[in-house]
Amino acid sequence: MEPMKPHIPPLKISKSNSNLSESNNDTSIQNRFYSAWGSEMSPPLTPQDAQDANMGQFEAPRPVFHNYLRAFYPFHPAGNVSPSTVTLPLDQGDIILVHSVHTNGWADGTLLDSGNRGWLPTNYCEAYDQLAMRPLLKALTDFWDIIRGGCGSSLKDFGNQDLMRGPIAGVRFLLEKSECLTRESSLIRRFDGLRRIRKALLSDLSALVKTAKKFQEVANGVPSEDEVEAILDEMLLKAFKIVTRGVRFLDVWNEEVGLGRTIAELDGPGESLPQHSMPPTPASDSFSLGEVEGPDRSESRMLESRVESRHMSYSRMDMSRLSMRTEMVDHRPVSVATKRVSVSHRMSVSGPSSAVIAENLASERLITTYDAFLGVLGSFIGLHMQSRSSTELVVTTQQAVQSCKHLLNIVEVVCEHDTHRSVFLEQARESMCEELSELVHAARDVFRPAQLPDDDLVFMPEEGKRLVEAATACVRAAGNCLAKARLVLEQIGDLELDPEHYEDRGQDLSSIDSPQEESETPVEQERQELSLRLPPPPLHIPSTTYSPPTPALTDATTPSSYQSHITNSPANITALSSLPNSAILPTHLENISSFDSAHTSYRESHPKSDVSESFGRGITSNGSSFTYNSYARDSEMSGLSQTSTRATSPDIGGSFQGSFTVHSLKESLSYSTLAEENEETEANILERTYAHELVYKECSVMGGSLRALIEKLTAHQSTPDAMFVSTFYLTFRLFATPLEFAEALAERFEYIGDTPHASGPVRLRVYNIFKGWLESHWRHDRDNTALDFIVNFANTRLVVDLPTAGKRLLDLAGKVSAVGGPLVPRLVSSMGKTNTSIAQYIHPDTPMPPPVLGKKEHNLLKQWKNGEASITILDFDPLELARQLTIKESRIFCSILPEELLDTEWTKRSGSLAVNVRAMSTLSTDLAHLVADSILFLEEPKKRAATIKHWVKIANKCLELNNYDSLMAIICSLDLSMISRLKKTWDIVSQKTKNALEQLRSIVDVSRNYAVLRQRLQNHVPPCLPFVGTYLTDLTFVDHGNQSLRTLSTNDNEMAVINFDKHMKTARIISELQRFQIPYRLAEVPELQAWMQNEFVRVRSRGETNTQTFYRRSLVLEPREASRSATNLQSQSESTPSILDNAKDKFDFLSWTNQSKAKSFTA
Amino acid sequence: MRPQREYHIVVLGAGGVGKSCLTAQFVQNVWIESYDPTIEDSYRKQIEVDGRQCILEILDTAGTEQFTAMRELYMKQGQGFLLVFSITSMSSLNELSELREQIIRIKDDENIPIVIVGNKSDLEEDRAVPRARAFALSQKWGNAPYYETSARRRANVNEVFVDLCRQIIRKDSEGSSSNSDKREGPNRHDRKRDNRRPKHRRGPCVIL
Repeated sequence: MEPMKPHIPPLKISKSNSNLSESNNDTSIQNRFYSAWGSEMSPPLTPQDAQDANMGQFEAPRPVFHNYLRAFYPFHPAGNVSPSTVTLPLDQGDIILVHSVHTNGWADGTLLDSGNRGWLPTNYCEAYDQLAMRPLLKALTDFWDIIRGGCGSSLKDFGNQDLMRGPIAGVRFLLEKSECLTRESSLIRRFDGLRRIRKALLSDLSALVKTAKKFQEVANGVPSEDEVEAILDEMLLKAFKIVTRGVRFLDVWNEEVGLGRTIAELDGPGESLPQHSMPPTPASDSFSLGEVEGPDRSESRMLESRVESRHMSYSRMDMSRLSMRTEMVDHRPVSVATKRVSVSHRMSVSGPSSAVIAENLASERLITTYDAFLGVLGSFIGLHMQSRSSTELVVTTQQAVQSCKHLLNIVEVVCEHDTHRSVFLEQARESMCEELSELVHAARDVFRPAQLPDDDLVFMPEEGKRLVEAATACVRAAGNCLAKARLVLEQIGDLELDPEHYEDRGQDLSSIDSPQEESETPVEQERQELSLRLPPPPLHIPSTTYSPPTPALTDATTPSSYQSHITNSPANITALSSLPNSAILPTHLENISSFDSAHTSYRESHPKSDVSESFGRGITSNGSSFTYNSYARDSEMSGLSQTSTRATSPDIGGSFQGSFTVHSLKESLSYSTLAEENEETEANILERTYAHELVYKECSVMGGSLRALIEKLTAHQSTPDAMFVSTFYLTFRLFATPLEFAEALAERFEYIGDTPHASGPVRLRVYNIFKGWLESHWRHDRDNTALDFIVNFANTRLVVDLPTAGKRLLDLAGKVSAVGGPLVPRLVSSMGKTNTSIAQYIHPDTPMPPPVLGKKEHNLLKQWKNGEASITILDFDPLELARQLTIKESRIFCSILPEELLDTEWTKRSGSLAVNVRAMSTLSTDLAHLVADSILFLEEPKKRAATIKHWVKIANKCLELNNYDSLMAIICSLDLSMISRLKKTWDIVSQKTKNALEQLRSIVDVSRNYAVLRQRLQNHVPPCLPFVGTYLTDLTFVDHGNQSLRTLSTNDNEMAVINFDKHMKTARIISELQRFQIPYRLAEVPELQAWMQNEFVRVRSRGETNTQTFYRRSLVLEPREASRSATNLQSQSESTPSILDNAKDKFDFLSWTNQSKAKSFTA
Repeated sequence: MRPQREYHIVVLGAGGVGKSCLTAQFVQNVWIESYDPTIEDSYRKQIEVDGRQCILEILDTAGTEQFTAMRELYMKQGQGFLLVFSITSMSSLNELSELREQIIRIKDDENIPIVIVGNKSDLEEDRAVPRARAFALSQKWGNAPYYETSARRRANVNEVFVDLCRQIIRKDSEGSSSNSDKREGPNRHDRKRDNRRPKHRRGPCVIL
């Protein structure tokens, strides 16, 4: 919700509201409820007045989520801080990493200086977003997300180098932008302060790198949880320190150097005003927005606010006393917020992405209002479902109706602007109006009987149900409304709303909700609202003309009163939230009510926490108002509000384990540690890197630019991951030409030269990549274009630095151009090798199982060879046939090359390289046809049945041999309609065989994405012949279902980078297939193979006509009419055939005999 | 029968017509940045059709077109079929006829729900199949609905699935009134409802 909507008449739920205020004049109780509400929602309530006034002259703050804030006023709730609150004291200039911003303006953040976490008022801060610092800040956010994001356990796999790249690249970028990259740069020479802080920065960096190395060592061993946690914490703190130092560096730079120049926007509060952005506001304060206020009153408002704020502090005091009395701290264990909740929460505060968008754009407002609306409605519904406390319900109902109206206002404006008067939008709006008035009615009915003198209204459960339904309907209607409005906006173009117009709207619309007339805004209520607002920042504004971002706050109260409510506010909020009422709330509201205790434990355990599970923290409470996400709309956030790069980061709340050791940071920050100049870091920082062009997700590379990927491929600190390298070799041709690949490698070779300490290993790796490519991954059809370049590179560059390597590469290149195939033949590419180790070990001397082939069979085969006898499958043992089939298929399967599986090569109509994949499908089809052929060309049903039985046996043996490919083909064929319709035949087949067939059928079941088959394959030990089709389908879908590029948002713009994830997926599927490319140890029987081959060829020679032939044969064998005429004899429960059936059969039959392409069942 | 309305849809068509794109577009959530086809739910999607929640299980065997013998196996699973061709390839349209015949033979039902899909509508400049041609086919097939889609631009993607699903539902309710059990046979594990024959629903269907 936008802060600019306070100008809507207050919400009145007419009767009930007045009843309420009449019946309870007990202010404190009313207050109590309000604040209870507030605290459940979260942290201290909003700086509302600030925004009210703000609105007058200002654009609304942009709802952009900023990851970093910098305090520009000190905030010291010090002294009498209640132990149960975690407000974060701020000094001017402090940098805060923001985890979430509550809609009321309080943010959950970590102070980088100390590593402390807590709530802080965002109106004391400004967004910190300096161009030069961006990469470093982003690196820290990533770093935080990785460490706190639940990847802890998998961190071991995450090279230390990868962790460190971000910060190093960030520092490098900062130094580069400030022209201080090298010690010798003129700025560094000139300015001593700058030199010192640069040194300190580098020293911090080296400390981090060292810790990371330590971590790697520890992680490689068998570390205890605690150990890992401790080091991770240490790393995090060190990373914080780097950022803090970086910020100071920039300050110093600005001071010493930057006067005449600007590398970045200056920092002072005045100057940065326009950038200042408050977190968006919303949901919970919407009811305090309800004060009637004209647009022109912002001036007088200031005065008022002064008066009121005095009130405020009084009531605050009262309240805190009251709360002391009523305090019932709830020590239930805090349920940690679910991932979804906290994620969606975070996103909900993040605004629409583009920072450039004008704040007044209708679309913007629409979205923010909608978010707020959902926030309120969500908690409204939640509350009504869970709670029995009536007073709360009144308040939330008010809020709910209010927020509905806010949304309607915007929609109305959009409607107005739509010249075409979109009918859909009108309808949507009207239906929402209806739902709203239903809600209001429902609410009134719920509370009507509440004429009782005591505070508690009688809550009627059945009415409550109606209320919830109404609210749900409201949400639905609003969603529809929003969608329509956005559609209209897309059509008519976005429009800018001017606040006044907008207010008028608000007034107009107030008439929509008919049932409420009396404008009743209890004074206490108003006062209460105010008392919960953010403490105003102190008054030291540099210039008079300067209008502070939070104008109303500038004429703040006296220091003392200001002090008093700061200190009090969080305290009594906390206390109040544990009122009995809230304690009743079950399930997810539990999170909320107990969030304060989470805070408590968090605080208490700060240096040495043992309450690892209690870190639901504020996030949980915040989450409450946003749990609606899970049902009000897809929990996947609509793309509207993903500014925060961390929007998708996993829940940090749940994984906050162990102690967050606070080292004596301040101490170590002292310059004394800088005495030791760290050459290594100096060198590190000088290393050119493109690490910032990589996209990570959960510790694995998802994408990146070619040069960044190459950099990762040839990293100097760690051996590259085997899968990564294999993927590269296998798929690079899909995202770069061979020449580009070679050039990028050469460039890497070149630029690492600037970094002497790393150039050795990196250059060697570059050479190794070339070598591996030429030796075993060279594809003559594609790669020869790069050969000249490689030769040239080896001749001119490689030879200079690594003479032996250069010679060797030249040598290889010579061989490659001479030889046709790969130099080092690979039966199985390197990729699957790691997996094949699990293959059954069979000693090479173990004799192969002897063929089940007697003299008789040998003789038969001999006679067949001489053309003296014809043989059928019935002449051979099913096991032997299955074995020979398996040998035949396995031979083709094992020779499938990975490149056949790339880029849907096998589907190419002409010139496909995928000869082996094609051979697989041909063989599979041949086998299926052979099965059909062998059955359908037998005249007697008995013989057919016997053959079916034999095939089922063969299929069974195939299964025993793990030959799923043949199994699939046989079952497929037996299930062909032309065979399955042969009733006479199947009647003879024994039940035993049928059962066996059913069994086999269930294994090759295609439903649920081959769930059964996949499950079996997963645990299989080679040798095994999987059904190739599933791999082909998977590969096709990976290829078509994933984009080849993904976007990476860099400093200011977006950059399209290679979607490496897609290629990794492809490679993974291929390696899965390769896992099974191990030949069977079975003895081949050449004569039998020859016969089978002959059979296949015979069947194949019919080509496309097979199906027709089979169907014709099938009809000849058991004509439909025949089966019908014999109905009485053959079937018991045969239904009377329709004329259509008969006619069609007849027709079919004729057409088949005709061999004509007569396919006109339909004329 | 099934408490949860679950329908099996089979996507068929020649290789390279963009079947898999169509399916992938339909099945995957727009916001998912990484599509993994190897998991069980990769081809399941819940949609709302005329206020009813249905689960569609889609069988799309893209990539295995050359395993012609497998085709029947796939077809057996389906209660409704998307026959996809590319508007840039006349041959891909011609291949549909054979597919439809096979479907009708296997399902033994001429009124099996079918939607004809002309994909790649974004490549208008490369159009090789005139709309009239496709409409003629549609008419010939008893007014099977014809859509032109663009999987790439996500145009009409949902619509084809919804239309097909609607047909299946309609057939379902029509079918439940008539119960003509089919012959027994190894085929019997097929869903029976597929064998039910609505009296007359589609347009002219001349039987010789």
